[in-house]
Amino acid sequence: MKTVLIKTLTKKVTKIALVLIPALTLSMTATAHDPSMHVKKAEKADCSKMDHSKMDMKDPVAMAMMKKCMKQAEKSKGQMDHSKMDKNMDHSTMKKIDDKISENEQHNH
Amino acid sequence: MRILKLLLLVVVLGTGTATTIMYSGIVNVAADEPHSDFVYWLLEETRESSIKKAAQNIKVPDLEDPEMLLMGGTDYEFMCSSCHLKPGQSESDMSIGLYPAPPNLTLSNEEHVGHEHENDEQASRKSFWVIKHGIKASAMPAWGKTHDDERIWAMVAFIKRLPTLTQEQYQILTAVE
Ligand code: HEC
Ligand SMILES: [Cu+2]
Repeated sequence: MKTVLIKTLTKKVTKIALVLIPALTLSMTATAHDPSMHVKKAEKADCSKMDHSKMDMKDPVAMAMMKKCMKQAEKSKGQMDHSKMDKNMDHSTMKKIDDKISENEQHNH
Repeated sequence: MRILKLLLLVVVLGTGTATTIMYSGIVNVAADEPHSDFVYWLLEETRESSIKKAAQNIKVPDLEDPEMLLMGGTDYEFMCSSCHLKPGQSESDMSIGLYPAPPNLTLSNEEHVGHEHENDEQASRKSFWVIKHGIKASAMPAWGKTHDDERIWAMVAFIKRLPTLTQEQYQILTAVE
């Protein structure tokens, strides 16, 4: 009597598991979804990745990339007006400061 | 007189069937339940013929202009990529959830199946028309209500080159700065 009960019980449990496990995994994949995917940030063009050796300068895509990156370079230059600056500014330390800033930015989350 | 009676019968029966189908609720409008092959074919043929006819007299400008790629690229990234994807991405909430599904515009014509493809000029014409006017009862919006033709041609120029772009090229072309 007991063994029959156990047998039907295990059968039932297996059946439930067969339904539940796929259902659960499916619903999990539907919710496991990185919220960062929904965030659109206004990114800057990553011009460091441009490989000039592979670029055909007659191709509109290559020309467009050059245009964008040149504009970007000009803009970042234009932000700093050297003519109004103290001539004694020590440029040799600037690289270090830049590195520090980018380091901070990277660890700022 | 007999023909008239027969005609009347057909009309009454037809209207009756249509009304019954409409109000019975048996038509499933869920987006996660695809059309039958027949209904799909019916809708697709109707859509393709409509676009072809409407677009046939559109004049295509020079699309090889770098400025157009830059303008179209930024617009594409912000207005279209959520549905039509970008290099290195094969799915999104929209591309999975919408029905009819938005085509993956990073794939070239040879790579995507579903309908015929004509020459470049005809393809550009049709893209322009679809972007400007949208497609009824699908998620494709009519961008012409908020964007002038110049912006729309720029998007056409961009999506023409999109299948050839690497992730790096895409990033540079579409970035705002
Ligand atoms: C909300 C989702 C969505 C957005 C955003 C969207 N589209 Fe679409 N688009 C669609 C869907 C869905 C279709 C297919 C409609 C159909 O098959 O009936 C489509 C079709 C198209 C087609 C026709 C493709 C073909 O090969 O038949 C083009 C071109 C297109 N979209 C361009 C764009 C552009 C450019 C933008 C941005 C300005 C854009 N779409 C934004 C959903 C979207
Ligand atoms: Cu297509």
